[in-house]
Amino acid sequence: MLFSSYTFLFAFLPLVLVGWWGLKGKNARLAFLTLASWVFYGWWDWRFVPLLIASTALNYVAGIAIARTTDADRRRILLATSISINVALLGYFKYSGFFVDSLQGLGSTLGLPVDLPRIDVLLPIGISFYTFISISYTVDVYRGSIEATRNFLEYSTFVGGFAHLIAGPILRFGEVSEQLRRPPMRLTSHFAMMGLFFLGCGLVKKVLIADRLAPSVDFLFSDPSDLGLVTAWAAAIGYSLQLYFDFSGYSDMAVGCAWLLGFRYPQNFNSPYRAVSVTDFWTRWHMTLSRWLRDYLFFPLARRYATGSSLGAGRRERLGTYACLFLTMAIAGLWHGAAWTFVVWGAMHGVALASERAYRDHRRLAGLPARPPSTTRKAVHRVATFVFVVVGFSVFRSPSLGAAGEVLSSMLGVHGVESLGQLENLLTAQFVALLAILLVFVNAVPNTWQIKVAPRVRYGLALGTATAIAIMSIAELHTFIYFQF
Amino acid sequence: MSGLGTHRRVRAPPGGLDGNRSGRGGRLSPARTPADPPSAALTAPGAWSFVVATLVSCFGLLAAVLALNIVVDPFAIAGTGIAPTAVENDRAIKLALIEELPSSPEILVLGSSRARQAEPAFIHELTGHSSFNAGVTSGTAADAWVFTRYAADRFPDAKRRYIWFVDVGIAGNGVNPQLAADPRASSYLDEGRGRFGLNDVGTYLSPDATRASIRVLRTCVLESCAARVTYLPDGSIPRPRLRYLPEQEENVRAAAATLAANVRADPLTDASVNPARHTYFERTLAFMNSRGERPVIVLNPIYPTVLAELERHGFPALADSKAYLHSLRRRGFDFVLVNCQDIRVWSGRPEDFSNPTHVNRKNMRRMLEYVVAHSEEALS
Repeated sequence: MLFSSYTFLFAFLPLVLVGWWGLKGKNARLAFLTLASWVFYGWWDWRFVPLLIASTALNYVAGIAIARTTDADRRRILLATSISINVALLGYFKYSGFFVDSLQGLGSTLGLPVDLPRIDVLLPIGISFYTFISISYTVDVYRGSIEATRNFLEYSTFVGGFAHLIAGPILRFGEVSEQLRRPPMRLTSHFAMMGLFFLGCGLVKKVLIADRLAPSVDFLFSDPSDLGLVTAWAAAIGYSLQLYFDFSGYSDMAVGCAWLLGFRYPQNFNSPYRAVSVTDFWTRWHMTLSRWLRDYLFFPLARRYATGSSLGAGRRERLGTYACLFLTMAIAGLWHGAAWTFVVWGAMHGVALASERAYRDHRRLAGLPARPPSTTRKAVHRVATFVFVVVGFSVFRSPSLGAAGEVLSSMLGVHGVESLGQLENLLTAQFVALLAILLVFVNAVPNTWQIKVAPRVRYGLALGTATAIAIMSIAELHTFIYFQF
Repeated sequence: MSGLGTHRRVRAPPGGLDGNRSGRGGRLSPARTPADPPSAALTAPGAWSFVVATLVSCFGLLAAVLALNIVVDPFAIAGTGIAPTAVENDRAIKLALIEELPSSPEILVLGSSRARQAEPAFIHELTGHSSFNAGVTSGTAADAWVFTRYAADRFPDAKRRYIWFVDVGIAGNGVNPQLAADPRASSYLDEGRGRFGLNDVGTYLSPDATRASIRVLRTCVLESCAARVTYLPDGSIPRPRLRYLPEQEENVRAAAATLAANVRADPLTDASVNPARHTYFERTLAFMNSRGERPVIVLNPIYPTVLAELERHGFPALADSKAYLHSLRRRGFDFVLVNCQDIRVWSGRPEDFSNPTHVNRKNMRRMLEYVVAHSEEALS
């Protein structure tokens, strides 16, 4: 069930809101919300609901077991076991086919007789997200930064709440535990206002912007060999904007649903295309994933491998840190999908982050003064970052590395510049105009979280009208891009 | 210097690490956001007005658009019948024409738009029998079932012959909303009286429907609100008014090349016939057979280059369809199958296609000659 579907907007969500605010008693309400979320999940494919329930139960029990024991070794074993099971499930469902295919390809390249059975496993939707949420919970319990909940319903709502179950935001138990322990009993005007605001904005972003870009972007990427310099850039920029409006629209809708239930979810996007460096970009793009990677992947890796030693007076430490940055981002790429294009995309960002860090370290060690920020320098950095991000997303979007190579070659002008006739065939005036407007939009207009919602009737009328237009445009369902991850 | 023993000594966090540093173990304060209000603002004055205004404007606009489209009914789904439809409502028109027939047609032509070029007058020349063309846009087995039953009820004592044009994959069960909404047809359908369902709400909220309604209204205001009947009394379409254009052949060839490219990209190698899709098809055959009637089922022609591309990929859909039809014979169904897919077998010409999927009248005449000649007396 998609957020941008009539079933969700006119049936599921109203019923859930009536049930949630109508029921008395915390546990009854949490049980209702958990069951509703499982129905929401099962709407896509009911066969994977038991997997979700099993994963929820496993991590709930693991959290309690870790919290109960004081023996350090036992705690470590329990944590390692729960993480291993989570990763194994994710690995089986998401990556087994990819690794078998890759081994097969490697074998045939090397001329080795590798004959592995082909594995076609259906990917349970949202598994990447709820696996990360679960891991963060057990690790936080292990670290002692949160208390394990004894209430299964609190935990099941935390992991499987329908608002964030499929594509985030990737919650941390610490930020919602109090809300789950004492869920609000009354729908306040502020909850309703904020909920409708985020829901409406998200729907408009998804249906009226991302879905409008989708046909042209899909058309351009369908045959990368047709692309020249202009069309390749149009395709890459178009996809970057589509991805942003699609995913941030989804996140806004998730936040809006949470508000309507009286919960507050964290921000996931903060005008990422205004970033002035790749490091800055990752503080603005998919923010809940960034902090997950930082706290549960980068820090442990860095602690293990970037520790300075007798070899090094900081140099070894720095090199280790750069390597950990690279590795973290390569894994982050793989998290997005079982394909080499994602790994390359992640690795590109890893190299960029490490390079930026190395440059900053170099200036600091050389005693060079910090450069004063100037408007021109900021503009240049912003454009350069945007170009890098767009190039990265063209790899991310391509169906194969070969196709990515074609697109990148075209972006470099290897395939020449199109004639006016070719441009007319490949680009519609509407698409070009939309790109131009959106480029201004993402740079100049405040994002959803920056808008201070004033409780005025005229703003309500404007929001309602825009939402109605978006609802009317849901003629053809376009799934959210991040569902595939 | 000792190594990085703690998180604090890790200096280059990835991604959003320079920002919200939750530090080791992710000890988090509740998520802070720019939109977070102070707790006193949880019942902000005027917020309910905002909520009410949002809901009223949203649902008000949706209701207004839905009401407009239901009243105008541009796609003939709601059955209001106040204004002419924006799409050709050929099912209703042809049911009305059957109702007005003075005598029972001896041959009923069934099928989709591909059957519409079959002229009853020419069939009369070939067979000596009167006929009625009941081919409709995107016709399915449900349409064939309704027209067969409707003709049988209109003329209960008359037996008739049938020429039923079908594509590879054989006519499926799909029920066109116009058909379901027509009270003359709905009683024959499993779905019963066509009701305006949730899916129809979606259709009538769409910008396409609104645009169509506005087009209909504009036509009504500027021209006339009378529906245009585009069929002759025998169900055939009037002769085309446009002259043959030399560019036509070139355009058809180009469109066929696109179609062939689509086949190349997606050869549909797994296109097995699912019997569950054919309940109306089998029911119609059974009904005809129960009346002692033996239909002639014609596999529609395919543009030569497209057919070549399909055959290059083995064309498993054809084998599956044939196997399905043979299985029907084994189960006792009685019909004649005439395969007209390859236009060479009935001396068809590529230039006599209106587009890659529809033959023009000249080719249809050639094909009908072949069909009648190979109908094993079922049309005599």
